[in-house]
Amino acid sequence: MLALEGVGFDYPGLVVIDGLDLTVAEGELLVCVGPSGCGKSTLLSLLGGHAAPTRGTITRNGQSRTIYQDGGLFPWLTVRENIAGGLPRGFAPAERTKKIAEWLEITRLAEFADTYPHQLSGGMRQRCELARALAAETDILLLDEPFSALDYQTRTRMRRELVATLAERPRTVVFVTHDIEEAVQLGDRIVVLGSRPTSVRRVLELPIPRPRQPAAPGVAEAEQAIMDELGLS
Amino acid sequence: MAPREWRLASTHGAVSQCAAVSRIVFPLVTGLVMLVAWWGLYEAGAFPIGTVPHPWEVVLAFRDELASGRLIADTIASLYRVAWGFIGAMVFAVPLGLVVGRSAATRSALLPWINFFRSLSPIAWIPFAIIWFGIGDPPAIFIIFIATFFQITLATAAAASAVPRIYYRVAEDMELSATAKLFEITLPAILPQLVTAFRVAIGVAWMVVVAAEMIAVRSGLGFLIVDARNGLRMDLVVCGMITIGAIGIGLDLLFSRLARIPSVRWGFDR
Repeated sequence: MLALEGVGFDYPGLVVIDGLDLTVAEGELLVCVGPSGCGKSTLLSLLGGHAAPTRGTITRNGQSRTIYQDGGLFPWLTVRENIAGGLPRGFAPAERTKKIAEWLEITRLAEFADTYPHQLSGGMRQRCELARALAAETDILLLDEPFSALDYQTRTRMRRELVATLAERPRTVVFVTHDIEEAVQLGDRIVVLGSRPTSVRRVLELPIPRPRQPAAPGVAEAEQAIMDELGLS
Repeated sequence: MAPREWRLASTHGAVSQCAAVSRIVFPLVTGLVMLVAWWGLYEAGAFPIGTVPHPWEVVLAFRDELASGRLIADTIASLYRVAWGFIGAMVFAVPLGLVVGRSAATRSALLPWINFFRSLSPIAWIPFAIIWFGIGDPPAIFIIFIATFFQITLATAAAASAVPRIYYRVAEDMELSATAKLFEITLPAILPQLVTAFRVAIGVAWMVVVAAEMIAVRSGLGFLIVDARNGLRMDLVVCGMITIGAIGIGLDLLFSRLARIPSVRWGFDR
């Protein structure tokens, strides 16, 4: 479980987040969507424990892993070694090898196990990030615009893969994006954030099974509602 | 205007052949041109007597020095001093650089002073080197150490302070200890810059050892040159210079190879 109560965060002379209340239920996939510069990444830093709130309290049960937009993999390690680094400690060597092979398989990176991140395409790198973070088997997964640096087709495919993987291995997910289409494709619940200081403008529940077709009932409407909320229509 | 008809065939084989030719043959041609110019100018009487040796005298000097074993012995003496001074500098400079790079307090306390000592010509330390260490290898090794220590420290500190913050966030998620972060994040992250810093430093060390040997010791390639000058043997001076330059190229080549290590290569391929 993740909960924020009256959370505020300031940089010197700049209020980034103020009076934010948000609760993420166990196993929920919550998407935060908002304009760029609205404090989405700061919100994830707070949830991940990488920054401390200036005001209010954050409750977090369990460990978390964060997936970043780009550059989170260690460039001096191969794909296999990066994924291995994500595994929780305490496995026997044989078990580790098995787990790594499993994640290489799931993310279709087995062929590239011994290549280095800079030799991979952007999509492959993000799949490797995903494998490393999911391999950790933490309760919470935080994603900071993980597919934003990818091209449209790769991005769409990656979303589907994420959905499929999470269906098999559910966990509490907070996914931050500026991409409205991505938000309605993924979220159980979508929180529309306003510009600085970050506040919740609207919350949408989307009890629609995934993968979602763009024209499925409820999907297009949700997209329109978010556009309206952000003043884009 | 109508476009001209064109066709592009694979030139891969020809191109790689060209690269090999230009890498090996071109420098040899340049060398040959310089040699011919030297020879020609000498024969034309362009140099006053005793100012520049005849190329053939240099060849003979090489033959004599190799036969007597002195050239080899002096080369080994110089390399030995460079090796110890340089290894010593690496051993102390890299850890210090890591601390300076990662701790803001240490950085503000030490960085100006590291810069101060780095700006001092290592040659300026020769009087102290002789008073503290006498003659022989120790003063020369000390000079090499001084010449490279501050440089490597500074390069390590600069690299360590610029490691992307994202790596440390990932490391925090993985709950790595402070020691683990140092050895598993900071050190591998700066390895490409370290390789470059070592490459620059070994070049400096090789230049400095020659200077140090001209004053503090009675062996090594620097001493060979001073000794030859005292005997007005300009052929021998050139023989020493050629040896020094060739070994300099060799050392640089050796260190540039380090960039090909797989876990370092990412820093050069991007």
